[in-house]
Amino acid sequence: MSKNTEKALNILRALPRVCLANIRDNPGSRLGPKRGRAQHGGDKHGAGNKGSGQRQNYMRLGYETGNNPFYLRFPQENYYKGHHLKRQYPPLSMLELQKLIDTNRIDVSKPIDLVSILNTGLYRLFPDQHQFGVNLTDEGADIFCAKINLEVQWASEIVIAAVEKAGGVITTAYYDPYSLQAMVNTTKFFQRGVPIPRRMIPPPDAIEYYTDPAKRGYLADPEKVSEERLVLAQKYGYNLPKIENDSEYDMLTERKDPRQIFYGLHPGWVVNLRDKIILKPKDEELLEYYAS
Amino acid sequence: MFIASRCRAISHRAPSLIFPKFGQKRDSSFQSSPYVEDLGSVNRSYEVTKDTTDWSYVQRVLPPKVVPTPVKKDVYPSGWRPQTIDIADKPYFIKRTKNHMIPCYLDIGQRGIKRTTLLKSIQGDIWQLEKEIKEFLQPQVFQILRVQVNEFVGYIRINGDHVNAIKYFLEQKGY
Repeated sequence: MSKNTEKALNILRALPRVCLANIRDNPGSRLGPKRGRAQHGGDKHGAGNKGSGQRQNYMRLGYETGNNPFYLRFPQENYYKGHHLKRQYPPLSMLELQKLIDTNRIDVSKPIDLVSILNTGLYRLFPDQHQFGVNLTDEGADIFCAKINLEVQWASEIVIAAVEKAGGVITTAYYDPYSLQAMVNTTKFFQRGVPIPRRMIPPPDAIEYYTDPAKRGYLADPEKVSEERLVLAQKYGYNLPKIENDSEYDMLTERKDPRQIFYGLHPGWVVNLRDKIILKPKDEELLEYYAS
Repeated sequence: MFIASRCRAISHRAPSLIFPKFGQKRDSSFQSSPYVEDLGSVNRSYEVTKDTTDWSYVQRVLPPKVVPTPVKKDVYPSGWRPQTIDIADKPYFIKRTKNHMIPCYLDIGQRGIKRTTLLKSIQGDIWQLEKEIKEFLQPQVFQILRVQVNEFVGYIRINGDHVNAIKYFLEQKGY
């Protein structure tokens, strides 16, 4: 007797006897109710009388059954002009970020950037849909207390204050869509065997934001940023923790080069995941191209 | 159509075999640009390194293969709590999800009209849990609470949106 048969028989021995209470029909022996048409039992079948319910053609949002719809009635709405071309920053609240830290999804001992947020798998980004990174929102700013070196793409004043009050540092940085695509799935990017791209400078309408020390832009003068840190601390009335005296000073002051997209990995390098080697270009032409 | 596309496919790499004089070239198409092998020998000198410090930066950007286990801390500011319950002396048990969250969800049905709360992964005395949930939720609602218990699959479905209430109720008990 095979092992499986023996096992099945053992189960059968432990089971109750077959009786009317525990048998059922053979699968497929009982046909379900049929929806008859016309004289063969045809009626409404629970779909109601006429309209969307019966025809299952639920109307699209804003459709007014033939009227000129409200959302199309006015020929133009300049407020929304070019909305399909604007950069989008999908939100991530400070509460969610704190929860990611609490559940050990993000390592606080390393600088946190878009890659580490995306690597949690709980925040998704689609660069092909004009999405350019994280907008850290102020929900949960009151409870936020993690000392981190954070890099996001968009942050409000309250968010900046909350991060700096907790002893951390925050930078806002721009990534072009091609760099973002490499960051979305790093494993897949390295497997492609192409050099790490150099990060492009922000487009003209974003330059102002990313060079502003008040927004903690990555292209701003560091001297002015530290001045703005003090200004914000005085505005919101908290004591600015001194990062110079901090034990994690090296981690808190680690920054990327404006042309760099991964910490410690320079543009132009090719990473081979299988052989665990890194190829670094030596040609003058390439070094010049990838130089910061 | 098929022949035309074949001709173009051949023509962009080498002078057309079929029509050598009229090899079509479309500058607007990416197919018109030459292949790397057609450019002759392109030799780029590369330095191959097995540096461990460089590799540590690669490992930093690679995602973890499994969901990390939470570290024990004194306080969790976000309100999330790890499961602290001892199963031995409890009548029922609710297994956390792989993301270490309580498996309680809001189900929206009937084209956005019907809202039900679904609590999954219940083991043990599900009827005891149903009784306790009813005792906890009934004072908060006006109607009689409608609860469906599926003992075989191990879920409880409650009419209405009570997700946060259920999560609070279970967190207080340490589940």
